[in-house]
Amino acid sequence: MSPEALELELDRLHPAAFGWALACCGGDRAAAEDALQTSYLKILDGRARFDGRASFRTWLFAVVRYTAAGLRRRAAFRRWLPLAALGATPDGRPDPAAVLARTEATRRLTAALDRLPRRQREVLHLVFYQDLTIAEAADVAGVSVGTARTHYERGKVALRKLLKEERQ
Amino acid sequence: MTEHNDHDLEERFHALRRADAAAAPPFHTTLAAARVRGAGKPRRRTLGLAAAVVIASVAVALLLTRRGAPSDLATIRLKTPTDFLLTLPNEQLLRTVPALGRASVTGFTTIDLHRRTP
Repeated sequence: MSPEALELELDRLHPAAFGWALACCGGDRAAAEDALQTSYLKILDGRARFDGRASFRTWLFAVVRYTAAGLRRRAAFRRWLPLAALGATPDGRPDPAAVLARTEATRRLTAALDRLPRRQREVLHLVFYQDLTIAEAADVAGVSVGTARTHYERGKVALRKLLKEERQ
Repeated sequence: MTEHNDHDLEERFHALRRADAAAAPPFHTTLAAARVRGAGKPRRRTLGLAAAVVIASVAVALLLTRRGAPSDLATIRLKTPTDFLLTLPNEQLLRTVPALGRASVTGFTTIDLHRRTP
């Protein structure tokens, strides 16, 4: 894929990729932008190569997920360093401005999603938000289809329960 | 693929998607920021390489200077310049048990009690 074609594809998928990056970073906008920029950089300088085994979207989401996980690990390590207080490292909490901009319903949904285990949250996001199939979601999350299906089913039950609790 | 009875969840997620899309930074801004970050990378890479070289050379220097030293401190015996004063003349005699009928280490011969004169 030529660099121009790559850029066109990234431009087309940018809003979806940003939503996925937000989900991977627990709603932290700064961390999501950081993860997205790093992912684009990896793709454009050839450190992440699209080999055509999956769809471009599935592959891009897998790159974003892997990059966000790496940044999260690095941020967690930095918080343990003695001079961590001097630098502004994202703490993984949602951006207050982003939370305020959301409607009550979406706020309730993100609050409930935050309480789910990471895998369940990821699979639900990929299926409901990104309209991927469970097999595609399994590809992105790096798990088997059976495992993804289990996370999907358990996640749905847990999410409905949490949303019902919120309403009461 | 969602199921037919999951419309409630689907709607909630789609509302979230619309909200996120409205708040997403423009693609060109993100790409420009990524490129700026990429331009800054070589300097960081050079610094990392320099740090790795310094660490490796210190490690090699430490290895070379410590090569002659024994690793087990319990086996070290201090040798002072006056150590020879502690050695006794013929101290070998004190360390061996003499056996009858055999030449000892020191060259003394012992008497064979079973020897009979012709």
